[in-house]
Amino acid sequence: MDALTNLGAAIVGLAEPSSLFSVLWATLLGMTVGMLPGLTATLGIALLTTLTFRMAADDAILILIAMYVGAIYGGSRTAILLNIPGTPANAASGLDGFPLARAGRAGEAMGIATVGSFFGSVVGLLALALIAPQLAEFGLRFQSYEFFWLAVFGVVISGRLTAMDDPIKGWISGFLGLFLAQVGQEGIHAYQRFAYGSVDLAGGFGLLPALVGAFGFAEILCVMKEPAYVTVRDVGSRILPSLRDLFGRWWTVLRSGLIGTTMGIVPGVGEDMGAWVSYAAARRASREPETFGKGATEGLLAAETGNNAAVPGAIIPVLTLAVPGSAPAAVLLAAMFIHGVRPGPLIMIESPDFVFQVAGMLFWASVAILVLGLALTKPMLFVLRVPREYLMPVIFVLCVVGAFAIASRVFDVYVMLGFGILGFALRQMNYPMAPLVLGIVLGDILDKNFRRGMVLSDGSFEPFVTRPISAVLAALTLVTILWGIGPVRRAAGRLVRRPS
Amino acid sequence: MSGARRADLVFAVLLTVFGIAATVESWRMPTLAELGVDPMSAPGLTPGLLGVVLAVLGLALLGRSLGGGEMGETAAAGGWGRLAVALVLCLGYAAGLLGRVPFWAATAIFVALFTFVFTVREAGPVRAGAGSLVLAAAVAVAVTLLFERVFLVRLP
Repeated sequence: MDALTNLGAAIVGLAEPSSLFSVLWATLLGMTVGMLPGLTATLGIALLTTLTFRMAADDAILILIAMYVGAIYGGSRTAILLNIPGTPANAASGLDGFPLARAGRAGEAMGIATVGSFFGSVVGLLALALIAPQLAEFGLRFQSYEFFWLAVFGVVISGRLTAMDDPIKGWISGFLGLFLAQVGQEGIHAYQRFAYGSVDLAGGFGLLPALVGAFGFAEILCVMKEPAYVTVRDVGSRILPSLRDLFGRWWTVLRSGLIGTTMGIVPGVGEDMGAWVSYAAARRASREPETFGKGATEGLLAAETGNNAAVPGAIIPVLTLAVPGSAPAAVLLAAMFIHGVRPGPLIMIESPDFVFQVAGMLFWASVAILVLGLALTKPMLFVLRVPREYLMPVIFVLCVVGAFAIASRVFDVYVMLGFGILGFALRQMNYPMAPLVLGIVLGDILDKNFRRGMVLSDGSFEPFVTRPISAVLAALTLVTILWGIGPVRRAAGRLVRRPS
Repeated sequence: MSGARRADLVFAVLLTVFGIAATVESWRMPTLAELGVDPMSAPGLTPGLLGVVLAVLGLALLGRSLGGGEMGETAAAGGWGRLAVALVLCLGYAAGLLGRVPFWAATAIFVALFTFVFTVREAGPVRAGAGSLVLAAAVAVAVTLLFERVFLVRLP
């Protein structure tokens, strides 16, 4: 009950005009970013980080969280109206949202997505307030061995779940990210790795320029390569979903909220899987599974509840272990470091109120998507009518400024360009981006903790696999790898199905 | 051989070579033993291991590409010409114009060119030119003022 009392106090504390104004404009900006195909929540948070890094930490993080929640929600509009997910997290929403729009029920579909996103965020933030303090306390038991496995498990599970058809590509993406993070001055002896005398390379690849490249420049190239999109203009008259429908589906909302939150907590998996797994669970549980994919409101509700519940879920490991649950959460983590906030297991000792403040920020951002989403359904359609030929050069200018602004290094602009071209090439070959980002974030954690662990154990790998938490993480990593190898998975399946 | 399989094959070879090169380079890094450093904290340890992992993953991908194993979806086809033009314009702006021309001017030139090139076929030269110039002027002024004056951010 303490957690809920603290959450209530944080919500009340944030209810002042300047904070609420920041939430409103940042959520609206996030919705716009999410709506525009080619702009993702990750890019939105990365660009906004460069704008807010001179602000006070609390204000900046409030704005970034509002952008995050708004962007993940905003992408549903594009999925419903164009059948193109505004962000990767909204891909499942298009399956039923677009058929609803084609049937002249676009307004109703957007209303369902709005209400589902709101309830998903609320379930997620309640879980954050209840789970995060416990997880942080549990995290205090982690030493170098456990953090090493957490980093390895993070890229392995992220690689597996974001590339279900081809896990090897997910793993390549993740380990490439881990390797790229090794470039530059390392954190134990200050040795400059792979710098070859270059002062710029000695500084390493900045996370934000790399992300702006991989999610901004790469997206611009993808969008310019694809044919132009055509938007639905008639959204119908009905926008508010019926309350009877919603109450009748309380179990779908709760189940999707819990699934989304759980998927968010898993490192590097995040909103996309939150939506897909919630959608699949709703279809399995439905009395009319045959309507899914043909305009089932329950499917849309499940997908949108799931992806927005994953936002607070992805922030839980950010706050408690300094490990991001998704790509946008990775940028949020970087932004917290820039603003002097030190997330990790010590957060409940050093700044216990911060966890509840973040939950309070998520609450107000959720209220903002509910109010703005229902009130601005028709006006926001204009955003989708801006031709990409006008939009993309402006976005690229912002990418250049965003990459440069943090450290005022021209090298960071080149890093942005390099990661953009790499990200585009990888995407064309169906390599997922989330493990790459997670790898870049976890590279330093992996390096320091692996070497510290080896020093503490006098060069023995034994403690890495015999300490209880390490052993569990090592076993999970091994199972995830074996599960991703087709012949092993099929053999295990045959074994399970064999009659006794 | 399909396009996707060929792309995987080329990437697998590149990744394997990259992984081996990374391992060799990591092996060549000093152990700092002369400074009394524990060899288990040598700077090359982690990147060396990651190099090995990347090389193994590259070999696995190579084996699959050659052996006809499971493949993911093929990459989507699309307008490669449009892509090439967009890439050249973006690189020209970020790596060519910036630093040599004031930011506002470089931005105006880039936005005007980008918009004009991609809209001239549909809108005609006069409308495309007018639209491009208006957008270019607005973006150059707005971004410069907003970032430098409001958010106090340095521009390239």
